[in-house]
Amino acid sequence: MGRAPEILPGTLDLLILKTLFRGPLHGYGIAHHLKTVSEDILQVGESSLYPALQRLLLNGWVRAEWGASENNRRARFYTLTAGGKKQLAREREQFQTMIGAIQKVLA
Amino acid sequence: MKLLRLFRYLLHHRQTERDLAEEIEFHRAMHSDPRLMGNMTRAREDSRAVWIWPWLQSVWQDVIYTLRSLRKHPGFTMVALLTLGMAIGFNTSFFTVFNALALKPWPVKDPSHVVIVFPQRLQGGFSLPEARYLAAQTRLISGLVATDDWVSHLGFEGFGKGTRMKVTTANFFDVLGISMEVGRGFLPEEDRVESPAKVAVLSYGFWRDHFGGDPKIVGKQVPLDGILFTIVGVASRNYTGINPSQEMLWIPFAAAPILQPLFSPSAVLSKPDYCCLDLAGRLAPGVSRSRAQAELAVLSDQFRTEFKLPPHGIRLTGTTFFERPGAKVEILPVVGLIFLAVTLVFLLACANVGNLLVARAAARQSEIAMRRSLGASRGRIVRQLLTESMVLALGACALGVTLAYWLPNAVAAWVGQPAPFRLAPDSRVLVYALAMAFVACVSFGLAPALQSTRPQRSNTRFPLRSILLATQVAVSVMLLIGAGLLVDGIQKARLQDPGFAVAGVSVISFDMPAGSYEVTRTRAFNARLSNDLKVAMSAESFGLARHEPLSGANSIDSAWLPEHPQPVNVVQQEVSPGYFKVLRIPILAGRNFEPADVGSNAILVNQTLARSFSDQEIRVGKRIMIGRAPREIVGIVKDTYSSRLDRIDPVYYQMFNGVASIPRVLVRSSDAALISAVVSAIDPRVRTQALPLADSVNLSLEASRSGAKIAGMLGAFALILATVGMAGVFAYVVQQRTKEIGIRMALGARPAQAIRLVLGASSRAIVVGLSVGFLAAMPIAHLMQHQLFGVSPFDPVAYLSVALVFAAAGLAASYAPARRASRVDPSSALRYQ
Repeated sequence: MGRAPEILPGTLDLLILKTLFRGPLHGYGIAHHLKTVSEDILQVGESSLYPALQRLLLNGWVRAEWGASENNRRARFYTLTAGGKKQLAREREQFQTMIGAIQKVLA
Repeated sequence: MKLLRLFRYLLHHRQTERDLAEEIEFHRAMHSDPRLMGNMTRAREDSRAVWIWPWLQSVWQDVIYTLRSLRKHPGFTMVALLTLGMAIGFNTSFFTVFNALALKPWPVKDPSHVVIVFPQRLQGGFSLPEARYLAAQTRLISGLVATDDWVSHLGFEGFGKGTRMKVTTANFFDVLGISMEVGRGFLPEEDRVESPAKVAVLSYGFWRDHFGGDPKIVGKQVPLDGILFTIVGVASRNYTGINPSQEMLWIPFAAAPILQPLFSPSAVLSKPDYCCLDLAGRLAPGVSRSRAQAELAVLSDQFRTEFKLPPHGIRLTGTTFFERPGAKVEILPVVGLIFLAVTLVFLLACANVGNLLVARAAARQSEIAMRRSLGASRGRIVRQLLTESMVLALGACALGVTLAYWLPNAVAAWVGQPAPFRLAPDSRVLVYALAMAFVACVSFGLAPALQSTRPQRSNTRFPLRSILLATQVAVSVMLLIGAGLLVDGIQKARLQDPGFAVAGVSVISFDMPAGSYEVTRTRAFNARLSNDLKVAMSAESFGLARHEPLSGANSIDSAWLPEHPQPVNVVQQEVSPGYFKVLRIPILAGRNFEPADVGSNAILVNQTLARSFSDQEIRVGKRIMIGRAPREIVGIVKDTYSSRLDRIDPVYYQMFNGVASIPRVLVRSSDAALISAVVSAIDPRVRTQALPLADSVNLSLEASRSGAKIAGMLGAFALILATVGMAGVFAYVVQQRTKEIGIRMALGARPAQAIRLVLGASSRAIVVGLSVGFLAAMPIAHLMQHQLFGVSPFDPVAYLSVALVFAAAGLAASYAPARRASRVDPSSALRYQ
């Protein structure tokens, strides 16, 4: 998938957590949200999205439940857990620090 | 928590896989252009890998690390592996034997549908007519097989040895699904009473060992008891036998009377109350055991009502030994004792390795501290230490299973009871060994791992090391006392007076020419034997008996008083008057047998029988009932241990009548040759064999003696382990306290005081262990007393010698460490560390 720019390594988890902060969403919804909000720059393929979601599940940052999608199909909705919210804050802070540092270097 | 989620994932991983697949499917459906989506399988695989991969990777890391560190300490690794490997080996060997003897079903096709038919009342049994009636009427059993174990002579066997065979109904091989190596099984028409066919099927082992695996064996004839039988087939090599040493060949029931002239043909084949054949059947498809049992019970009652026999009920069981009625009660105590012993050995080994690990962890304190300061969590380090234990345990498990491949057979041969077939571990044994390894790993590995990673080292009053040391001491004391009681008990039992003369007495037994001694001939032989012996020697210097004392063959009758219908089980013995003289059993009241007593109702009883009816003393002249026959007591003899060595049963003697059996002759050993001469004058074909009566006595001690040998072996192993364990602890103390010892020496302590310091630290643990061991040994000793003859639970010799042996072991264990402690050089000790 060389056409879309690579997402900065390690930031996908953060982006997903942030997306879910707004409320439960299914995998496709997450990808769609990232795409629209970033104005088509962030295109997350399923081969990176689903491993990332599994990783978040394993760490207990998100919960998954089956529910009905907007067009009434069965879909798996991910919800942020309390641990996930803390993690989001942590990662966000780290990211800000990192970005700040990188910008200082690039400036 | 993470581990928990991981476990949940592993448990439900199929569900998770499905979830993932469906989810991605949904994703694709939603997406406008699926081609942009990339490789779906790859996505799934990557998602799965999130869960498993890091875990696997870190386990692998731990294993590699463990192997490296074990290789760096070959001494520790060797001792730990050997200790644990042997302990697991003993346990697995025991389980292999138990599995083979008690848990394995018959080696037949689809054994889960094969049932053994027992009468509910175990005294009774099935006759061939009843078996045939059941087989003809049943609808729920697809085939019913009746068998009986017999012995015949093929002509090449040694004295008293015969070919063990099964007499069976013709459907034996079909019902059990035993295929043929060559030839065929029996045909229905070969098992008809009116036209008996002299045909035989050989077992594979018998065919291979005695006929060289002759492929053209079918159609050849073999003499069974001198009568020619035609071989029609050889059973498959996969059929190792219900009881391997008992099944060398098979003949159909119809041919049986030809071989056993002492029974009339009608008795075996047509007497409705003939007892007792073995019955087994195969359940029809879809039929449960309980339904079949109910059906057979009704049929059996019908049959027995018709022939005016008391009903005996039906009970169906599976084919393993353990399922047989009474089997559990019979073998569980002995199995329990052995299991206890090997479990104790296992516990001892775990304590030993645990202590080694504690010492090792102490030596690795700095390594652990460094890893923690580099950021490893406590759980991570515990896991790493447990991986070490697991690797050790699995190595030991491999060693143990290897040991279990040859140990059971080797031990069986060593105690003089070679196993009838090769005992080898199967998958069940393997699972058992793995379970042991797991238990071992947790039991010896967890506590040291937790202790050594505890943030601050707490100074508890009972350090783990002391608890482990006390456990080792206690367990090995228990094992040693068990072994000591057995060994000492056997020694005593050998010297004990059984109440009858043993020294200088021989038992002469006869091997009659096969097949030719039917009732008339037997009676004639016995009459001539008595007469000719009386001519050759005085009537008092030989005794005839159906069985010699302690032969193991006791027939039991029930006796009661007409006015007091509470029966007592009594042992029956059939003897001639000379029996009491040769064995020097005094007649306390009344008289000995006289020639006129043959066939009369005169009996002699022992003192125990005379006392058996609580409210009244039995005197000479008293009439009592034995079975359904009225008997008159003409004499009372002194109690002896004639039926078994561990207790005196009530015994009644009746005059040997010489009708149904060939007797044994008891004589002074010097007269033994004379008997052979007399017998070969009667019939030169009769073979005689003279054995000292002491052999019978020894034979009854055989089980206890085998037990003593095995217990001795386990005891010796326990002692070695305990010694090694103690030595390890002492050495560890010296190493830990070198600095302290050095300071004390510098301040003027003498070497003896240094030694006391080292031993003193562990002596409390040892004393606690000793006391616990001695106390715990008592109930075990009590249990042993009931199961193994000769053991008395309060045997001062055994207890004392264990204490002495242990003291010696303690001394030996402390020698090297104490020496090192006494030679600590103050100046170098202070620089140490």
